Amino acid sequence: MLDMVLTTGVVHLTLGNLIMWLIAFFFIYLAITKNYEPLLLVPIGFGILVVNLPLTFLMQEGQGLLWKFYHYGLEWEVIPPLIFLGLGAMTDFGPMIANPKTLILGAGAQFGVYVAFFGALILGFQIPEACSIGIIGGADGPTTIYTTVHLAPHLLGATAVAAYSYMSLVPIIQPPIMRLLTTDKERKIKMRQLRPVSKKEKILFPLVTVLVICLIVPASAPLMAMFMLGNLFKECGVVKRLADTAANELMNIVTILLGISVGATMSAEAFLKPQVIFVFIMGLVAFAFSTAAGILLAKFMNLFFKEKINPLIGSAGVSAVPMAARVSQIMGAKYDPKNFLLMHAMGPNVAGVIGTVVAAGVFLALGG
Amino acid sequence: MIDWNLAVRIFSFGLGAVFSSLAILIAAIYAFGRVLKSIEKKAD
Repeated sequence: MLDMVLTTGVVHLTLGNLIMWLIAFFFIYLAITKNYEPLLLVPIGFGILVVNLPLTFLMQEGQGLLWKFYHYGLEWEVIPPLIFLGLGAMTDFGPMIANPKTLILGAGAQFGVYVAFFGALILGFQIPEACSIGIIGGADGPTTIYTTVHLAPHLLGATAVAAYSYMSLVPIIQPPIMRLLTTDKERKIKMRQLRPVSKKEKILFPLVTVLVICLIVPASAPLMAMFMLGNLFKECGVVKRLADTAANELMNIVTILLGISVGATMSAEAFLKPQVIFVFIMGLVAFAFSTAAGILLAKFMNLFFKEKINPLIGSAGVSAVPMAARVSQIMGAKYDPKNFLLMHAMGPNVAGVIGTVVAAGVFLALGG
Repeated sequence: MIDWNLAVRIFSFGLGAVFSSLAILIAAIYAFGRVLKSIEKKAD
């Protein structure tokens, strides 16, 4: 009888498992009731729950089902590039091509990445760990996961959850910083309507971008190449089936695998450490500095350009597509209901994705 | 022991790469925009 009882998970439960269950329930609650990144938080929450069931061995090396998802999906670098393929097929670079100088805002908003990088080093993290924590400031989930799997896999759960949590909290984190750093007059700046972008320009863009970025930072190639391939599918118009598959079915499948694999890395032993709290703090610092840097760079650019940029679109450089651009639009409309900033903010928003991939490429090349 | 030299190199090269690659991209967008325009003009 005792032997039989010992084969159940109940007697092997630890306090750590119970705490992780609460975290799992909290994520699932946030996803379902608050709609915070539900596509990721539901599978992540469920992954956390099941990996903290004793004796299930779901993450046992070479045996467990979730270990196989994690190993072949993330360690083999398959899932994040496939997510980028889908993102590319969903992204319209038109607003950015129409006003290319907004690309610089996407670069400026990477500043927070390096603030968090140095912050993490000061807190005692090693360089590969600091790179993984810093990249949270890029507000790009797949890039964060890709970088962390390479450089600090033991931090994967914390960095991935921090990135996705802060991405969903963009409407709460950014507005106070935007208000603090802009004047009433600046918030009301109206930007000229964007010119229409031709189909040829949209087709050439992914081809030129993959050449430029991958020549400068070759380590960014897996993500950048797939991102631009997805975009080429979308824009060329002759492979509609592939574009649809990349943006819908494939994207959904890899999102499920990504979410449950990330959740599965969050066992009580791996997650309940003081380090994780520091990861979340530095992630928030990165986010805040990236937002501030994007706004300040827009203000700086206004010193030189005749056509003024509304600094509220600078904060959209933190990626988090399209949430950050929506926040710029909402903030702008609050101070002038006739001011439409959404399309202008989409430029730095998608440029931010490219900027984050470049930053990650340098981390991978030098930080490993 | 943290290698601060490497950290500074990562920072300077990283931020430099982000800005330079996006600046080159801006130049490339302007360039291919002009080339396409001139081709279209010739075709007209």
